[in-house]
Amino acid sequence: MKRSFDAIVIGAGPAGSSAALTLAKAGLDVALLERGSYPGEKNMFGGVLHRLTALEEHFPEFWNQAPLERHIVKKSLTFLTEESSFNVNFDTQASDRVPYNGYTVYRPRFDRWLADEAVKAGAKLYCGCTVEDLLKDGAQITGVKVMRDGGEIKAPVVIAADGVLSFAAKKAGLRRPAFDPAQMAVGVKALIDLPKEVIDDRFGLVRDQGASNELVGCTQGVRGGGFLYTNYDSLSIGLVMHLGSLSESGKTPYDLLNAFMEQPQMAKLLKGGRLLEYSAHLVPEGGYDMVPETHGPGILVAGDAAALCIVTGLNLEGINLATHSGMLAGKAAIEAHQRKDFSKQSLACYQRMLENSYVMQDLKLYRRTPHMLHNDRIYTQYPELLCGIMDEIYRIDGTPKETMTKLLMRAVKEKIGLKNMIADVYSGWRAL
Amino acid sequence: MKINVDEIFDVTSFRIDREPHIVLDTKVCVGCDQRGCTNSCPARCYTWSEEDQKMTFVYDGCLECGTCYVVCRQNAFTRWSYPRGGFGVSFRMT
Repeated sequence: MKRSFDAIVIGAGPAGSSAALTLAKAGLDVALLERGSYPGEKNMFGGVLHRLTALEEHFPEFWNQAPLERHIVKKSLTFLTEESSFNVNFDTQASDRVPYNGYTVYRPRFDRWLADEAVKAGAKLYCGCTVEDLLKDGAQITGVKVMRDGGEIKAPVVIAADGVLSFAAKKAGLRRPAFDPAQMAVGVKALIDLPKEVIDDRFGLVRDQGASNELVGCTQGVRGGGFLYTNYDSLSIGLVMHLGSLSESGKTPYDLLNAFMEQPQMAKLLKGGRLLEYSAHLVPEGGYDMVPETHGPGILVAGDAAALCIVTGLNLEGINLATHSGMLAGKAAIEAHQRKDFSKQSLACYQRMLENSYVMQDLKLYRRTPHMLHNDRIYTQYPELLCGIMDEIYRIDGTPKETMTKLLMRAVKEKIGLKNMIADVYSGWRAL
Repeated sequence: MKINVDEIFDVTSFRIDREPHIVLDTKVCVGCDQRGCTNSCPARCYTWSEEDQKMTFVYDGCLECGTCYVVCRQNAFTRWSYPRGGFGVSFRMT
């Protein structure tokens, strides 16, 4: 292994490979270090990849080039109780035309493909390479120490794309040494084998159309939600839960996931399926207030490592922000090379690029959302309220009906309380 | 169809290193009044025995998610790192 490069990228996930691709295409000598035996080996997510506008620069026909499962045409939000579900469904032909708006993917395939593209452009990929420490000259980061061969690799700029726990950002003093469990969520997922035709029939899909479904009310009061996504011939089903709330609840993620899969409406969709894989990962859900310093002397931080993640309850964005930030980190490193200046001040151009892009602008826009989602009523009372109202509207049981207004007011008073409802609507309005 | 974390090796692949990547000082756990790790860990790597007043930790089925690292309020880890290259969990599809 060579010991000196123009740039080192830690982590061959979406952020890291995007950075390496950008650097390699500009003719820089870049080392892409991956701790897995192959890129994507350690990575999991819910399953939906939003449109990656940043990558379209390199892959104008992304949908024909990347290894994708299905493109999403149907999006739904479900409020779930133990025996009922209330569904808001949006299905559009507009999402059935290129450029598609989102896809389901398998990370071990997708991440490997993206890393291979960086390699084709000239990046050097080293797998099985866990970074142990940063090399420093005073405060200036000058490279990394890896566990493999106990070796040292040098470069004037290091891009930390080492994922949600980013030990590189910690060692560079860019993130706080301890995480707040209230700002972190754990995702657990079961991958379920089902024939393509069965999935098409159950979800009302044809060709390689896909469906994505977000759910609330499936976590037994733990702050969080569920998801169900269609791959080509498998389903991804899982839960994402705030760590603080989960830890206090005494409940376990796998028991909650099992109960979710056994809920009658969910069980019908999964019927006959076989469990292929079980996986888990953390999600940085703290939003803008959780973002660490994105740059320091000789170092840039991208993707999950920089907590670039947006959770609104309707959308969960991460990989799109990761690829975009990775690409910008690559561009910033290129500019630093042109200036031959790798000081913190020089690398601050990365922060400016982030601020000028949708990455930081959207994070700022949704700054209040994580706070709004720390409201326990969302996870049980509201799903029960909605399903209860629907049940009363549709039920014919020989008793006289109330007017809709009366029914609504009574249900709100019983389940939520009028004051709480007004406060929640106001906070939701401000946050979204 | 059910997830049984005690038989996690049936569905998720691992290459287990002889050297643990996480080392827990279980003495510290005795004085902890939360032990959020025991219920939050998605692979049930942490088990508290009320009878023996003892924490047991196994790293074999660790999914490397970091939940324990975040929920531990006692800094009970002597070492918390990812496994050496080539070892640990190996997701195939997910």
